[in-house]
Amino acid sequence: MAITKNTNEMPFLQIKDLVVEYTSDGETIHAVNGVDLSLRRGETLGLVGETGAGKTTIAKSILRILPDRSAKICGGEIFVNGKDLLKLSEPEIQQIRGNEIAMIFQDPMTALNPVKRVGDQIAEVIRIHNSISPAEVEKRAKEMLELVGIPAQRFREYPHQFSGGMKQRVVIAIALACNPDLLLADEPTTALDVTIQAQVLDMIADLKKQKNSSMIMITHDLGVVAEVCDQVGIIYAGEIVEYGSKEQIFDHPTHPYTIGLFGAIPDMNEDEEWLHPIEGLPPDPTNLPQGCAFNPRCPYATEECRKGKIPFAETPDGHLSRCLHTAEVLKKEANA
Amino acid sequence: MSTPLIETKGLKKYFTTAYGPLHAVDDVNLTIQRGTTLGVVGESGCGKSTLGRTIIHLLESTDGQILFNGEDVTHVKGKALHEVRERMQIIFQDPYSSLDPRKTILDTVREPLVVSKRYKKSEIDDATDELMELVGIDNRLKYSYPHELDGGRRQRVGIARALALNPDFVVCDEPVSALDVSIQAQVLNLLKRLQQQKQLTYMFVTHDLSVVRHISDDICVMYLGQVVELCPSKELFKMPLHPYTKALLSAIPSVDIHNPMKREILQGELTSPINPKPGCRFASRCKYATAECEKPQVLEEISPNHRVACCRVKEINNL
Repeated sequence: MAITKNTNEMPFLQIKDLVVEYTSDGETIHAVNGVDLSLRRGETLGLVGETGAGKTTIAKSILRILPDRSAKICGGEIFVNGKDLLKLSEPEIQQIRGNEIAMIFQDPMTALNPVKRVGDQIAEVIRIHNSISPAEVEKRAKEMLELVGIPAQRFREYPHQFSGGMKQRVVIAIALACNPDLLLADEPTTALDVTIQAQVLDMIADLKKQKNSSMIMITHDLGVVAEVCDQVGIIYAGEIVEYGSKEQIFDHPTHPYTIGLFGAIPDMNEDEEWLHPIEGLPPDPTNLPQGCAFNPRCPYATEECRKGKIPFAETPDGHLSRCLHTAEVLKKEANA
Repeated sequence: MSTPLIETKGLKKYFTTAYGPLHAVDDVNLTIQRGTTLGVVGESGCGKSTLGRTIIHLLESTDGQILFNGEDVTHVKGKALHEVRERMQIIFQDPYSSLDPRKTILDTVREPLVVSKRYKKSEIDDATDELMELVGIDNRLKYSYPHELDGGRRQRVGIARALALNPDFVVCDEPVSALDVSIQAQVLNLLKRLQQQKQLTYMFVTHDLSVVRHISDDICVMYLGQVVELCPSKELFKMPLHPYTKALLSAIPSVDIHNPMKREILQGELTSPINPKPGCRFASRCKYATAECEKPQVLEEISPNHRVACCRVKEINNL
């Protein structure tokens, strides 16, 4: 079953069966293994998963900024606004990068060029994608700086003169400078303190609303997802294992991995002596387990789970989960 | 009440910078009872790691006193310092950079035992095996190097090394913030189990409030080198009194989608800890600030065991 359903209109973003591999030391790393997803205009999709699950690789595939030497998109299609991005020529995709689709990178300390003034880094993307005079470019860049709450007087300063939170705002200003239709936010607040995170999330939400952009929010923080997302995809070993609206995923998590993730977070409202970690470790991406990649860590796993790719099945509340034992899982969860 | 295992009195740690003294830890008074965990929370740059490192003598204090088991150990030197250090250990934040990449796991774990010069080789071998088992590292990984292990296992090695000499007090400096949630839960459970088994006393430094709530008995909230609120963990989350603590707690994104917390977004960022003014350091971001806040603030007991450094705390909270 495909992830797109109940809609006749073409979604704004649609990814079909994306497969990405890396090669390193002659070994093949299976980073993304058949991901389908779709997103409507103005919606925010949260992609949640652990380190190495393939979240960032998906975002980089959309922008086609994977390293040429080691990474290869082996299959799939990525449609944005009806265009298949994977079929575009390099000059064509350059027109889109930073313009229609922009990315907010995780680490503001490394995303900015340390020897270039922050103002010029914002101006660069505006200049490339608009044929306007240099004075106009600078004016727009200054407006962007103000928009993210940094006084325009600091236009000529260098990244090292900014704090971590301010650098991340600059990265956001660059991403938003050309009013992108699609924003790829790769852990935009992970490197920040909670108080600054709150400021930044608020700002992203505001700006996104003003421009009615769609967004993919990549994160491992379920709290952030609860705050900003409409749809949620839980990703494990390069595969979306559960997909639904935020309410469906948070109220009725169904895949054993999702349930494990929720159980592992210390609860802010209840006192519990022990946490409930997921036993074992994420699988080695060069040597994924047969069948369901989660089966070695899963308390419900049976022989059948090791037999081949698990298809999506609809859960009772209408979202999707790649699990053969949904009925059993839900029964046990209801009793717990 | 019995003698606390750790007590600091007016502890200060200033760093010299080109622009004047940086007040990383400024006049901190706290006590930690044996077998309990004190959580220290605050934003990056508030001095929480420096506080932990100063207490265990990784950094020399500028002023004030550190009492260990009631004994003043502020200025111990030489052999006495060695002995104190054996009783106080640290688990570092980043399990990637805190292990020697050229040492095997075995060598890393046994190093403190070798350095102490108190044990025979056979004793050291037995003790290392025991330690590895205690923290749950497979014996077959003994001769592996750090780069062959994942983050969670590396952190277990860091824990084994910290516990090698049977310390009384362990500073846990963001021990799980580099780990994924599923692994984080494994390590937190391990730390808690070890505490129960060995009557360990922890100072748990972190910026993750849900982790600190889970693991701590008491919590100390720091802002720019000073303690602004200190009270039992449950009380802090039920009834935060200091305006900064309130803002900090309301900033945590909650997984409870049906009861979103009312957000209180702090404006601005941390001011500079270099040559700070004498008054409340939070005043420039505080919506309750008045002229009175320009005077130095004292940590006062507002209700039993709940101390707050804010001159307007009673007004703000209608106490």
